[in-house]
Amino acid sequence: MVRHVIVGGGTAGMNAITTIRQYDKGASEIVLVASERPYARMVLPYYLKGDISEAHVYTATPARLRALDVQTYIGRRAVGLDPQAGTVTLDDGTQLAYDDLLIATGSSPVRPPVPGADAADVYSFWTLEQAQAVLHRLRPGCHVAMVGAGFIAFTILNAILARQARLTVVEIAPQVLPRMIDAQGAKLVEEWLRQRGVHLRTGANLTAIEPADGRKRLRFQEGEDVVADVVILATGIRPNLEWLEGTGLAINRGVLVDEHLRSNVPNVYAAGDIAEGRDLVRGEAAVHAIEPTAMEHGRVVGANMAGQPVAYRGSLLMNIVEVLDLEIASFGAWDDPQAEVSQALVPERFAYRKLLWRGDRLVGAMLIGPSREVWTSNDLGMLKGLVQSGIRLGAWKSYLHHHPFDVKRAFIAAGTTARLLPQTVLGSPSVPAAAVAVRRGV
Amino acid sequence: MKVLRITPDRCTGCMRCELACSYMQTGTFQPAKSVIRVSPFEAYASYAPYTCPQCAEAWCLTACPVEAITVSPVGAKVVLDDVCVGCKLCTIACPYGTIFYNAETGKAFKCNLCDGQPACAEACPTQAIEYVEAETHDWLGAFAAERAARHLTTLASA
Repeated sequence: MVRHVIVGGGTAGMNAITTIRQYDKGASEIVLVASERPYARMVLPYYLKGDISEAHVYTATPARLRALDVQTYIGRRAVGLDPQAGTVTLDDGTQLAYDDLLIATGSSPVRPPVPGADAADVYSFWTLEQAQAVLHRLRPGCHVAMVGAGFIAFTILNAILARQARLTVVEIAPQVLPRMIDAQGAKLVEEWLRQRGVHLRTGANLTAIEPADGRKRLRFQEGEDVVADVVILATGIRPNLEWLEGTGLAINRGVLVDEHLRSNVPNVYAAGDIAEGRDLVRGEAAVHAIEPTAMEHGRVVGANMAGQPVAYRGSLLMNIVEVLDLEIASFGAWDDPQAEVSQALVPERFAYRKLLWRGDRLVGAMLIGPSREVWTSNDLGMLKGLVQSGIRLGAWKSYLHHHPFDVKRAFIAAGTTARLLPQTVLGSPSVPAAAVAVRRGV
Repeated sequence: MKVLRITPDRCTGCMRCELACSYMQTGTFQPAKSVIRVSPFEAYASYAPYTCPQCAEAWCLTACPVEAITVSPVGAKVVLDDVCVGCKLCTIACPYGTIFYNAETGKAFKCNLCDGQPACAEACPTQAIEYVEAETHDWLGAFAAERAARHLTTLASA
């Protein structure tokens, strides 16, 4: 029986496992190595906020893994790989032989290289364990300093404020969300947050985090110190590549993969945050480190491991975050400097739209607006559809240039639905994960 | 499976489908909460109702990190309210723009085919919306392209 070894139980790993079983119904061996019990990182902010219980966070119960006939090494890490021998070595010395391997070991938070940043009572917010540590420190009225104003930081601002903490956000870049929206959009977001009592310091170069009578003092190159009860670092992530050094795998910023998500070693796949694969819009290899890319990567690897030669068109970069009822989203090449731009800005309504064009194709989009306003997000998915399909908009380009908030008519009349219907990831109907199980006795 | 077949030439723009849908889905007559939405074409003289095609790929279902979207017995992709956390990934994953976020409930919402008795089809007085056995299809593209041509021409000469 073919033996698939999956290293990593996050979104990419779990989607690969479910997809293998969707196709082979149990006609292979699957071994999962995961350092933690599989859970959904995306929903940790809702756990921190208190909206959901810990049980809600887990993506694969032991019963589900049994139903999928998966042998598990939970709590174990892979520390070595020998592609010639076809074996993975775990941190307890166990050697696992594979016929094919998925590397889906994700990424880890990076701490800024300043004194005090590595202290145990300075928190990251990335794993479930880290989320729990932060949760236990948040008290009503306490002062939280968030270092970093990127996507991860923004996903937990609501939770921190909902727990009645005071919040100061410091960011080294001159704007918030520097890898998600442009400077004009960031200005709107910053104004929105300031009006709601969040202290913001952009362009702030942190130099040290020092103990201060049970609290923490943050020092900067310029400007006043910040003294806080809880310090959370959200200063970026990097792929967990260390264990792959010297294995001969081709690695750039991540493990380089082809259209079947194979590395330069044909029976070794990579998926999710650790994979550097084709970006749908730009056509180049990129590490996206976003949930939708991890999910699609996982499904494509699963299909290929199950013997379905599925080629992947590439991943569409996309992010959405709501902070204090302000919706912020961007798609595709939202920062393409070569693109033609259509935009509309209504500062008093916190409304912003930006469309990016190459010829009459939409290659990127950005939107900001209050979540309670219908116009903010009623055509959110259609913007994604226009970018994803690459459909030519012809005369509608000029219409959208003048009316960037009226996307729907252009979407419908360009025949986008007809273009999208056959444009699927796996080319077969998707099945809910809960409906996938092995057929005993295969 | 049975799908909502839309014949836009028959649509009069009466908006009864939106009212029926919002009432069935939320108990209130609020077109903004409807998951079938009528768009005007040809400078507001033609109309076309647009809703979830219940696509086989089910972008919303595969995007959900907590399996809050499943397939109902009638084949509709449906949101399980007690599982949805409101992360909105489905709303950016769906390329048709037919799954939405309700800021009041904090949940995603979409067409569930009313469990097999779609209120929009029942409310439509001209059979522009029918619930029939068919392959899902781009019901509106050709109609909208033709009806919009004059609108765009007017725009270009303006």
